[in-house]
Amino acid sequence: MRRGWQVGCVCLLGVFAGALITSLSYSLSDNLGPGPGFFPFWLSVTGLALTGAILVQVTSGRLLADAPSDLWPGRQAALQGLAVIVALAAAAVLLEPLGFRLTLLPFVAGLLVALGARSWIAIALCAVGGSFGVFHVFYYWLMVPLPIGAFGI
Amino acid sequence: MSRLVTATFAATLALAAALGGAGAQQSYPTRPIQLMVAFPAGGSTDIAARIVASIAEKELGQSVVVVNKGGAGGQIGWTELTRQRPDGYYIGFINLPATNTVILDPERKAIFTEKDFVPIINQVLDPGLIWVRADSPYKTVHDLIEAAKKAPNTIRTATTGILSDDHLAILMTEEAAPGALFRLVHLEGGAAQLKEIMAGNVDVAFDNVGSIATRVKSGEVRGLAVLDEVRSKFLPDVPTMKELGYPTVISSSTRGIAAPKGTPEPIVKRLREVLKKAMEHPDHVKKLEDAGIAIKIMEGEEYARYFADTHAKAKKYTEWARNRPMR
Amino acid sequence: MDTLQHLTDGLVAALGWQNLVFALIGCVLGTLIGVLPGLGPAAGTAILIPLTFRLDPTGGLIMLSAIYYGAMYGGTITSVLINVPGEAASVVTCFDGYQMARQGRGGTALGIAAIGSFVGGMVATLALVVVAPPLARVALSFGPPEFFALMLVGLGLVTSLAGRSLLAGLAMAVLGLLIAMVGIDPVRGAPRFTFGIPSLYDGLGFIPVVMGLFGVAEILLTLESPTRQLVATKFTALLPSREEWRRSVGAISRGTGIGFVLGLIPGIGAIIPTFTAYVVEKRLSKTPEKFGQGAIEGVAAPETANNAYANAAMIPLLTLGIPSSPTIAVLMGAFIINGLTPGPFLFQERPDLVWTVIASFFLGNALLLILNLPLVGLWARLLHLPHQYVSVGTLLFCVLGAYSLQQNVFDIAVMIVCGIIGYGMRKIDLPIAPLVLGLILGPFIEKSLRTSLEMSGGDFSIFFTRPLCVALLVIGALILVASALRLAPAEVREARDAN
Repeated sequence: MRRGWQVGCVCLLGVFAGALITSLSYSLSDNLGPGPGFFPFWLSVTGLALTGAILVQVTSGRLLADAPSDLWPGRQAALQGLAVIVALAAAAVLLEPLGFRLTLLPFVAGLLVALGARSWIAIALCAVGGSFGVFHVFYYWLMVPLPIGAFGI
Repeated sequence: MSRLVTATFAATLALAAALGGAGAQQSYPTRPIQLMVAFPAGGSTDIAARIVASIAEKELGQSVVVVNKGGAGGQIGWTELTRQRPDGYYIGFINLPATNTVILDPERKAIFTEKDFVPIINQVLDPGLIWVRADSPYKTVHDLIEAAKKAPNTIRTATTGILSDDHLAILMTEEAAPGALFRLVHLEGGAAQLKEIMAGNVDVAFDNVGSIATRVKSGEVRGLAVLDEVRSKFLPDVPTMKELGYPTVISSSTRGIAAPKGTPEPIVKRLREVLKKAMEHPDHVKKLEDAGIAIKIMEGEEYARYFADTHAKAKKYTEWARNRPMR
Repeated sequence: MDTLQHLTDGLVAALGWQNLVFALIGCVLGTLIGVLPGLGPAAGTAILIPLTFRLDPTGGLIMLSAIYYGAMYGGTITSVLINVPGEAASVVTCFDGYQMARQGRGGTALGIAAIGSFVGGMVATLALVVVAPPLARVALSFGPPEFFALMLVGLGLVTSLAGRSLLAGLAMAVLGLLIAMVGIDPVRGAPRFTFGIPSLYDGLGFIPVVMGLFGVAEILLTLESPTRQLVATKFTALLPSREEWRRSVGAISRGTGIGFVLGLIPGIGAIIPTFTAYVVEKRLSKTPEKFGQGAIEGVAAPETANNAYANAAMIPLLTLGIPSSPTIAVLMGAFIINGLTPGPFLFQERPDLVWTVIASFFLGNALLLILNLPLVGLWARLLHLPHQYVSVGTLLFCVLGAYSLQQNVFDIAVMIVCGIIGYGMRKIDLPIAPLVLGLILGPFIEKSLRTSLEMSGGDFSIFFTRPLCVALLVIGALILVASALRLAPAEVREARDAN
């Protein structure tokens, strides 16, 4: 846990530092008061100070003295988690080129298999329902525009 | 010999493509069309869009789905419109001069220009209106302008957004009445204006007739002037700026439909015909009238010219706005 | 009394066959819209406006209003069952509602949410009838300076949401505020932190961020312990225990009050009342550490506040013609399309119409309760499906929801990134609530500051010369001092123990 917080703090420091530098390129004050860069600048400064303090506290042991240490997910969970992320990313990339139905059919089917579902019938039904079924409901009944891809589907 | 064959082959292909293309266009539309509104649901543009969509879809035989892509004062929606495939299945509303100012203001960093649109047909022309609370000390525009000259930069004047048509209208007024200076308060939309005027947090509002006509008629608020050449038929008792001696203060917000650049002419033509018919339909006319929104159909060339004129005018005042001490 | 007569007439009309059916349809559709992703109440209501073209105005308005507050309830269902807020305001219900579901008490959570919503809605409508016009005028005195002060007070709520470390809570709030600054700034109208990506011009959408932080992150966490024990409960076990009832009563009363008062202020939005009710409940509780672990008050309070807010927010619309939120603006659009302009004049000219609509709120709230309470068991049973189906279903839900907001694939990307971040935060127990709070308050704070300064011409004294504003600033300062005093002993103790 402590390692996790340390890593988190370092990432945060990076984010705040980046924000600080970017906000300097927006004007800090205006003839009416704070300019566009004012709040981001001071928020970044505050963020850096807070995160620095947390890092010190964690490293010196004053914080999280009682926290559990083993947080890494098991191998199966990690692989499945990766599958989820990759599937989501693929869906995002393919959604407009391939269209909603053709993207979500393999998405649902693939993820169900990756997470350990076994019944082929259930998987097939869910995949078709989740892609074609959902599309029909949203596009034709609820008038929510969903992408139709290059193949006209 | 082979060259002749190749040439014939090529010609046949070209002919087939042209016929096929024309065929495809003749069968347009074959699936629902998306009509984008660059503002959130419930606003003036949105209401008028939904009315015209519900009538046009009957003629087209396919649904016309209104899609709200609000945000960044319309910039998000218009950016999206110019990036869509020019196949006639995605068209959208452009609001002049708002679309123009987004293009013209370098701060906005718009990635589209005025050349990225094919204007199809204009629906609404909503003239500007200066209004105050019913019990305000300003009974006429003259009162207002005198006060603005006597105490420059103290009269809190509300717009519906930075570089909106209202903002530009205020600058036009300042130009026409040298010495008058208003303290600009940029709010977000007409509802916010109503609230702040009622609460007494701002003194006068520049907006459009369509947003507030019903309340002027009922007496809840007082209209000082209409920023048009002729009086609004919804507010016959409110004088125009022209009558009051400020003929250069003409400002209005128009809403029309455009397609992304490159949309084939036959499709544009069909859309124009269908939309015109829809806009002239008695249901459409009645509903818009009930809501106090004035129809002004401008098509093709006329609309394109109006776009160019508005663009030029907006350019002048956008420059001015950027150089004005208090934006 | 004139009002009573009007109300009675209105009730009679609202109980008419047709209007009752419209109210019913509205409640069902509203709940569905709340449950379905991406179709927030605003979009859903907008879709249904064309329906009102074909119905008579009264019926149409009754239906639209029912959809509006029905949707508030629908969003709760997904918050409790799968930790994905169906609509923005339900995010607070995720904190304890989902935990209750994991403990097999999902039905109870939904049940208390339904009951709390009913009470909140009824009381708010009653208050609308009794005190509407004068109260609405008072609420008008809430201008941009008061808004700014109120948002500062809201920031003070962070201290109660921090959990393990106050510093971490504050840092998360700061991060949230910073993320809220992405987009076109209210000062120049120029894009900020957008790095040339047009989709960012309107900022990072709240819903994709929250869907990622809560929904996707939860799924990633679930993978580590998939066969979570979901105790199959009998229906009677779906009812709250006596102890829980007792605790809920206070939460519901306070939630009603908070939701109602904040609902009168145009522009507040539904999320702030829910956060406020939650934090107030946590502060007043004798067992604050139970919050976030499945405390029933943590569901009762925000849900009641949510519905009380939704009903109260109709008051500025009906009495003054001012829409409090984008969703209500859509409702106002529906009125206008039908040729009616809400406001004091409509109240006077068409009392029959206005009072029938108001009377229908009572009916609508009752209908919601009758509809949803029996279904609670059914919804809870969904969780008993094998975890793969629940997870993949949720992900499908999330993809659909994120995309359909603006037909933009970018929102899905935002959701994925927030999902990973949320997962990381949950693993190391960094508090997420302050981040969400910062995200919500950020735009409000900057815009209201800017507008206030525009109003005053750059003069900061505007914040100190308006009585309501000063009062709010004082309250905010007092809350901060009280938090500091409360927490200082704890931090001192921790430091002492660690040495």
